[in-house]
Amino acid sequence: MSSNRMTSLRRRWPLARWAVPLVLFAMLLPFLWLLQMSFKPTPLILEFPPRVFFVPTLEHYVGLWQAGFPESFVNSLVTSIVSTLLALVFGIPAAYALSRWTGRGRFGLGLGILLTRMAPPIAFTIPFFLAYRYLGLLDTRTGLILIYMTFNLPLVIWMMQPFFDAVPASLEEAALMDGAGYATVFMEIVMPMAAAGIAATAILCFLYAWNDFFFALILTRTDARTAPVAVVNFMNYEGWEWGKIAAGGSLVMAPVLVFSMLVRRYLVSGLTAGAVKG
Amino acid sequence: MSARKVSYEAQRRRFVRMAMAPSLLFLLVVAGLPTVFLLVTSLTPGALVNPGSLGDFSEPLRNYRLLGSDERFVGSLGVQARLSVYTVVLQVLLGTGLGLLVHSGQERWKSLRHLFVIPMVLPPIVVAVIWKLIYTPDISPIYQAARMLGVTLPALTTHVDFALWSIVIADTWEWAPFTFLMVLAALQTLPAEYVEAARMDGADAWRVFGHIVLPYIAPVLLVCTLFRLIDSIKAFPLIFLLTGGGPGSVTEVTNYYAYLVAFNFGELGYSSAITVVLLAATVLISWGAMRVSRNAGGAE
Repeated sequence: MSSNRMTSLRRRWPLARWAVPLVLFAMLLPFLWLLQMSFKPTPLILEFPPRVFFVPTLEHYVGLWQAGFPESFVNSLVTSIVSTLLALVFGIPAAYALSRWTGRGRFGLGLGILLTRMAPPIAFTIPFFLAYRYLGLLDTRTGLILIYMTFNLPLVIWMMQPFFDAVPASLEEAALMDGAGYATVFMEIVMPMAAAGIAATAILCFLYAWNDFFFALILTRTDARTAPVAVVNFMNYEGWEWGKIAAGGSLVMAPVLVFSMLVRRYLVSGLTAGAVKG
Repeated sequence: MSARKVSYEAQRRRFVRMAMAPSLLFLLVVAGLPTVFLLVTSLTPGALVNPGSLGDFSEPLRNYRLLGSDERFVGSLGVQARLSVYTVVLQVLLGTGLGLLVHSGQERWKSLRHLFVIPMVLPPIVVAVIWKLIYTPDISPIYQAARMLGVTLPALTTHVDFALWSIVIADTWEWAPFTFLMVLAALQTLPAEYVEAARMDGADAWRVFGHIVLPYIAPVLLVCTLFRLIDSIKAFPLIFLLTGGGPGSVTEVTNYYAYLVAFNFGELGYSSAITVVLLAATVLISWGAMRVSRNAGGAE
């Protein structure tokens, strides 16, 4: 559309040519700074002026290993994966149902489901905290999985619905005419056609649970502590272990960077369903 | 044929009901029940140190009456309003500007657009750690650069005048990409004929923007504003790590105050009342957001 407009803009305002790379640099620098710090030898971290070239070291990652970080990392993995799988098992049929819903109350139902995602997490935390204390679910993976499901189930329903909308009803009818049962039709016709959507939704659910800090902070202590909470624990009264913080932070963001590139096409719809951020 | 169709319809309806039931039941238990529970708790003095107090309904509206005279709560609403307005305005403006720039720029920037999105998908606590790093004087590249230039920067996160802005800047870094992504997506569906026709009629770049482009992306901007507004009510990791609500209560938003009241002071009943107020605000905005995004159509 506007290559003409832009050419004239560039002539009048040469900075426009550099604006995009400059902004990109500003957006990436803070994140790259953390990454380089995770490989910087401890004595150099506080050095001024900062050294750009140095011999990278794995000491902080080794330190993380010794400090019990792997257990937190595994907790994060287990709670994220299990809550994602469960949300898919419950949510996919429900999303299909909502897509084929002909009765009244569709708007209300959709709104109710969306609200579960939009509500401030603290609204769930107080009741869950009390219930978990009573049920002995505080500081357990089960407890975290349950609360992540509360938020991932609406995301699945919300995100999968358009994929099911795109499956033509005539296909289903053709299979029914051939004598297949409805469950078969769903499993063998509808599901494969929505496979791409299922993959994208699964990744977004995983990211949501993986990124959570708030619930894990309040509902876990040591046994079920997740990686984001463990990173913050390296900021303590004796001082800040910047090397370990940087290394832990880098490990926590690694899967996110890989996965988000895979689902970049669906990020907007996932985020407008309130995803990723706690 | 038509009789058959009806029977497919009946089969489908039965299947739909069965498919819906488990999720609805689950959501009722894990989302509906806690909401009722929250409302009930908000009517009690419920304190963690006094177990019996969670069942004490002798003065049900006490918490809500106290809210009005609680300066810290009223103050937190003001902080929340400022934070929300600053961040939403900045993010929508910057995101739109960047979207326009990338959309009309060279192809190679367009192909890099996914790099802009990194801050938004990073775990919020990692974003907070990154900004803690930037705001901690003895280690921050910004402070080091300033020192090289002979400038002494104030400690941003502990300074009364800058603390809130330090949160606003970090939040904008994290979430301007959201508007950017949405605006870029909208611009790519803008029919080129509209712009060409306007230019044929002699409109300059600013008029094309004001009369064609802006009205076209307006619904998307509205959706961005509403969604960012809803999210700004949940602001937590940045405040938790950067300022802890301080100095004083300069950065203490309502959500953060509710967290402190519940999990530092143990006043679950009172915190529930604060949370009910937040929840009501969220419901209102979400309802509006859904109305708008449905009317906006292609905005997802």
